[in-house]
Amino acid sequence: MSRKLVIDPVTRIEGHGKVTIQLDDSNRVTDARLHVVEFRGFEKLIQGHPYWEAPMLLQRICGICFVSHHLCGAKALDDMVGVGLGSGIDMLPTPEKIRRLGHYAQQLQSHVTAYFYLVVPEMLFGMDAPPEQRNVLGLVEQNPALVKRVVALRKWGQELIKAVLGKRMHGISSIPGGVSKNLSAEERDRFLLGEEGLLSIDEVIEYAQDGLNLFYDFHEKHREQVDSFAVVPSLDMCLVNDEGNVDYYHGKIRILDENKNIVREFDYHDYLEHFSEATEEWSYMKFPFLKQLGREKGSVRVGPLARMNVTKSLPTPLAQAALEKFHDYTGGRSNSMTLHTNWARAIEIIHSAELIKELLNDPDLQNEQLLMTPAENDWTGEGIGVVEAPRGTLLHHYQANKEGAITFANLIVSTTQNNSVINRTVQSVAEDYISGKAEITEGMMNAIEVGIRAYDPCLSCATHALGQMPLAVSLFDAEGNVVDEQRR
Amino acid sequence: MNSVVKPAPLSLADFNRTDCLIYGIGNVGRQDDGLGWAFIDWLETAGICPEAEMVRNYQLFLEDADLISHKQKVLFVDATRDSDVEAFSLQPASARLDFTFTSHAISIPAIMATCQLCFDTQPAVYVLAIRGYEWALQEGLTAGARANLERSIAHLTL
Repeated sequence: MSRKLVIDPVTRIEGHGKVTIQLDDSNRVTDARLHVVEFRGFEKLIQGHPYWEAPMLLQRICGICFVSHHLCGAKALDDMVGVGLGSGIDMLPTPEKIRRLGHYAQQLQSHVTAYFYLVVPEMLFGMDAPPEQRNVLGLVEQNPALVKRVVALRKWGQELIKAVLGKRMHGISSIPGGVSKNLSAEERDRFLLGEEGLLSIDEVIEYAQDGLNLFYDFHEKHREQVDSFAVVPSLDMCLVNDEGNVDYYHGKIRILDENKNIVREFDYHDYLEHFSEATEEWSYMKFPFLKQLGREKGSVRVGPLARMNVTKSLPTPLAQAALEKFHDYTGGRSNSMTLHTNWARAIEIIHSAELIKELLNDPDLQNEQLLMTPAENDWTGEGIGVVEAPRGTLLHHYQANKEGAITFANLIVSTTQNNSVINRTVQSVAEDYISGKAEITEGMMNAIEVGIRAYDPCLSCATHALGQMPLAVSLFDAEGNVVDEQRR
Repeated sequence: MNSVVKPAPLSLADFNRTDCLIYGIGNVGRQDDGLGWAFIDWLETAGICPEAEMVRNYQLFLEDADLISHKQKVLFVDATRDSDVEAFSLQPASARLDFTFTSHAISIPAIMATCQLCFDTQPAVYVLAIRGYEWALQEGLTAGARANLERSIAHLTL
């Protein structure tokens, strides 16, 4: 009798999700799917609102990577009012640098959350440890000194976001054509030099290296498990600059194959020429793919692992040294080991901190020229923004009528881009951990979750919903009857 | 059921110091979930406890363990759906690693335990839970929630 295994919903990812695994009569995996069953509809909700509300309103999809949505929307509005890169006009240096500063601060803060709060407990306690231990509160109990450093890092990131964006959450500083405030010398010095209760940037860079050192230590002890867990080849995609290096705020979209050959490279304003989106009745999350390659071969991976695969180098010294080691490990080929996403994320934590230090030392941040004011006839009524959000490439596309009301919005978030590769990851883990087994174990369920969690998926963004996640597992036979069920 | 569940002998005057924190939790875009912020709004408008640090947030974060570690006394104000609470409850809180953490939520006892373990200190913490009734995507408190807010204020300003 064939069986279906359901993990519903998956814990410690952002938003709701459920996994089903279909087993045949011999308990071999025949199919595995990540179902995203929540729907919120922000693309519809924004229609009719004034165009300038879009970056303010749409960032409320998420309480984690709201800065990415805010900046992506702001870039789309730059286009719309006729001062953006879509119009061939470079933004003034100060507003772009201010936006980048906020962007890097959020990447630091978001990656620290994902890595230390969600992944490190698993590394330290093991995949099979009880759920009550395998979380950051277990880490508090076991290693409070480490948690104290992590808390200080996150606090620093949040304070910088607040200084740059105006609020700790859902900031308001990016406006069409620029930003509403710069960073004063006093604010800069707080973050450069630190103060009581706030780290200096040099301390941030020191603490940021904890993550990479933890990964190296874990990898050394568990190399076989880390390297063989869900090896999922894929095309890799991210924004790159003219040198072919990742640019988190702006650039061309570059897609590489497993041998790092360029499969596609294009201006993101042309994304509709290259990408299509498939739908499935069992998930609200779409499946983007390159039209010319088709659904099976044309899906891409985005996020830290993809970015570290695509980028040739990184412009900051500590991150570059770590990247060289990362690249050497696979001998020049793309790295498809899912758990190495955590290695890539640890490198990006350091890189973000180093990029922030460079910007804090840039006197342009105190410049008063913050806004480009377009002529009325520069209005284009359409804009597309793309940034590299912590979880990967994020796109906002808006159209507005002559009165400035939004008439169309399309969001392609990172987790949606990763939809196919996450499903393939689930399939890979299921084949390794569940095939041939007759009963469901906690370790099996968690292995599936570990695979999904490596992508740090934000299902609330991907379906534009949000929520909490208990866990339930159900087993179905071929006729759809539940033959076993577990909850926690 | 009594309108006040085990009230602690506490007055807002006790919080009018720089080493005190009053922390409103909630979301003003979800009707009565805005009760925590509404309490802070009232304090600021009425000029009550001007020396205390006031914070509004959607949810607690682990970093709040650091925040409370610098304080002697903390009052968390949040909405509650608990039907056992007729109007509000005011109770002291105790540290406990209750393993409730997700990236979207962490409990007050877990924040306190983190504060104790990581920062080796513990403020006196109280929780004012005010009963709410409606949680839809809409701004503004219901009449019932507003009445409960006023009752909690009256109790704390006696």
